[in-house]
Amino acid sequence: MHPLKTTKTHNATTFITSSSPLLHLLQPSRRSLNVHLHFTIKCKIKTTSKDTKNARNDKKTKPMSRKIVLFEAAPSPASSNDPPAKNAGLPIWMSVKRAPKKVLSVLSNLGLAIGEMFTIAALMGLGTIIEQGEAPDFYFNKFSEDNPVWGFLSWKLVLGLGFDHMFTSPVFLGMLVLLAASLMACTYTTQIPLVKVAKRWSFMHSAESIRKQEFTDSLPRASVRDLGVILMGAGYEVFLKGPSLYAFRGLAGRFAPIGVHLAMLLIMAGGTLSAAGSFRGSVTVPQGLNFVVGDVMNPTGFLSFPPKDFNTEVHVNRFYMDYYDSGEVSQFHTDVSLFNLDGKEVFRKTISVNDPLRYGGITIYQTDWSISALQVTKDDEGPFNLAMAPLKLNGDKKLYGTFLPVGDGDSPNVKGISMLARDLQSIVLYDQEGKFVGVRRPSSRLPIDVDGMKIIIEDAIGSSGLDLKTDPGVPVVYAGFGFLMLTTCISYLSHTQIWAIQDGTTVVLGGKTNRAKVEFPEEMNRLLDSVPELVEMEPTNTH
Amino acid sequence: MIFSTLEHILTHISFSIISVVITIQLMNLLVHELVQLGDASEKGMIATFFSITGLLVTRWIYSGHFPLSDLYESLIFLSWSFSIIHMVPYFRNHRNHFSAITAPSAIFTQGFATSGLLTEMHQSIILVPALQSQWLMMHVSMMLLSYAALLCGSLLSVALLVITFRKNSDIFDKRNNFLIRSFFFGEIEYLNEKRSVLQNTSFDSFTNYHKYQLTQRLDFWSYRVISLGFIFLTIGILSGAVWANEAWGSYWNWDPKEIWAFITWAIFAIYLHTRTNHSLQGANSAIVASIGFLIIWICYFGVNLLGIGLHSYGSFTLISN
Repeated sequence: MHPLKTTKTHNATTFITSSSPLLHLLQPSRRSLNVHLHFTIKCKIKTTSKDTKNARNDKKTKPMSRKIVLFEAAPSPASSNDPPAKNAGLPIWMSVKRAPKKVLSVLSNLGLAIGEMFTIAALMGLGTIIEQGEAPDFYFNKFSEDNPVWGFLSWKLVLGLGFDHMFTSPVFLGMLVLLAASLMACTYTTQIPLVKVAKRWSFMHSAESIRKQEFTDSLPRASVRDLGVILMGAGYEVFLKGPSLYAFRGLAGRFAPIGVHLAMLLIMAGGTLSAAGSFRGSVTVPQGLNFVVGDVMNPTGFLSFPPKDFNTEVHVNRFYMDYYDSGEVSQFHTDVSLFNLDGKEVFRKTISVNDPLRYGGITIYQTDWSISALQVTKDDEGPFNLAMAPLKLNGDKKLYGTFLPVGDGDSPNVKGISMLARDLQSIVLYDQEGKFVGVRRPSSRLPIDVDGMKIIIEDAIGSSGLDLKTDPGVPVVYAGFGFLMLTTCISYLSHTQIWAIQDGTTVVLGGKTNRAKVEFPEEMNRLLDSVPELVEMEPTNTH
Repeated sequence: MIFSTLEHILTHISFSIISVVITIQLMNLLVHELVQLGDASEKGMIATFFSITGLLVTRWIYSGHFPLSDLYESLIFLSWSFSIIHMVPYFRNHRNHFSAITAPSAIFTQGFATSGLLTEMHQSIILVPALQSQWLMMHVSMMLLSYAALLCGSLLSVALLVITFRKNSDIFDKRNNFLIRSFFFGEIEYLNEKRSVLQNTSFDSFTNYHKYQLTQRLDFWSYRVISLGFIFLTIGILSGAVWANEAWGSYWNWDPKEIWAFITWAIFAIYLHTRTNHSLQGANSAIVASIGFLIIWICYFGVNLLGIGLHSYGSFTLISN
């Protein structure tokens, strides 16, 4: 019994300094019994909890035994040697029953969780450094075996672990799953019990125990009732019983981290749903043409079930751009109509970047553009539709060109007029020799004379680049976002507890807080300054 | 024209005021504490705050959009955030060591923004289609506020590391000095000075106690400031995700900037978790926060320097030159 006894005392003392919960439980025994008796009581608690655990996993004793397991994990090697020795004596079915509990305690280990977060951060960082989604040859060259990057990163490692597609690689996804498991385990084994204990509030009946708090003070010639009123004014919940006072504030700050964890799980669940149950597609549609939604959509995972609106037909009525005075593009617009199977228009909207169309779970985004054709009349013939081809894609600058053959189109040495455009605003024309002739706006209908021919540019027809998607995960993820923002903000609150007792004419006061450790003493000093001083002695309850 | 002149004047005013503030602080420390001078430096920071605010408002009026569309504007905004963080505890009557960090940080960011490196970016540019959204204001301002708060908090942690390991271990001392010397020289001076002042005024036997108290205060303050920055970072990332779902087609695109923002978030989440364990508090959590300091700079500058991904708006023009 003796070695066990010493480890228990060790645990008890760490408890007092490290966390509030058990303090409530210990204080009464500390007060009434002497030190030796206190230890024996602790031992008894432990043994009873173990006995009941062996007999049956009683719900009532669960948090107690878990708590002990949890805090044994870190501090003393003696106590961590204890469980296996016990385990050896148990029948097999017992240890099987214990296995989930062991897994839980391993998963809820803080060190493991921190390690997981570090690993995920490192993998993500690596994912931005290693080029993603290239052909294998690229990795053979860049991460050659003879000369690995940083001395160890060869193509075998990169391709073997799937780092060429980091964010879908089994290593990365496995870490995320592990982190989710840790989140759940930690919430279940650590956070919820902590809150249960924090919710239990108790008075302290001796000045001694109050003086052991992080912040203590004593007010001579003061009344505990005045203190209560002032604390209430400062936003505390105040409880008075006889000469004792208990006050707390910011209890929500203790609950909120659970919410943060749950919100993270919600976001992860939503993300999984997005990854497994979406449809995506992109399409470039010249103005005036149409397509059926279902034709361009591709499923992303095994949970992708096509909604009934996939037979909707999308018609691009018009595609146009807005320009700044300097000639730069300021915005792209596409006027889109949706038709159902009967050919009836069910929805119409002009979409632009940052303003997508949403209809029956389908979202249509404006993401890209190009020029599909020029309508040209030559010497009042036509109009001809000349298809435009992309010529040079230098960064964001686009350039399209087309060619109007002149004379005999069948001869091998065909000549003609070249037309170039950067956007739908202006077309640059070059003659058969390749010399610059002039610039025309499609809207002006102003004829231009090229090699004796009268050319009118009737119109420039743009195509709209649209991205389409359905994503059942978005509502879940957004709910998680909202919850996460809220709970993160609430987590900033500091849970503050204050105890006070009327000791004669003096009020002895102690308090502690879990986050605002610097602000708390300053605030307390300010509050205590405003407690009125009793000039004449008043009879108090303690007499 | 009048606007750019006004902007120019305001830049110079704020810059010179901060210089004076830093000088006052140094004088305060090197000679001895003069209450009036300290007060003057606080007033100076307020004046700086107003002139930077004026600068941003001027830019807003003449460009017609929220002044956060490129690197120059974001740096000015960062500088403005530093001055806000400086003032909040001042108005709540908390005495702290912030001014030693916020003032130099503000002057460095502003100095970098207005230096010759980025002259081409001073002209307010047009807003590309993807940035034309109400989310711009929410997302970018939250991100920059969080950067400012997290930088302050992690610098406090770096200071804590320096103090803790200064006598104990030479290796650590050198490493940390190397890490921060470029950015943070004034702060070390300040804290060392503070310590020597304490040594002189108090009994020798109390030196350790004061050192302990100082590190304790630094620890708690960095925790509070980082928690605040973490809230801003969370809101910033999430509002960015919502915006991305409106503009790019998905709330998460594995864009390098997004990834690094998430890494920053993860590092400071680790920091907050180390705080829940007593054996990991103090120096251990401070090391995590100093890692976070580097990560923020990678996230803010490193990704833009490469000019990759969808967040290419704030990239440098250095490369093309």
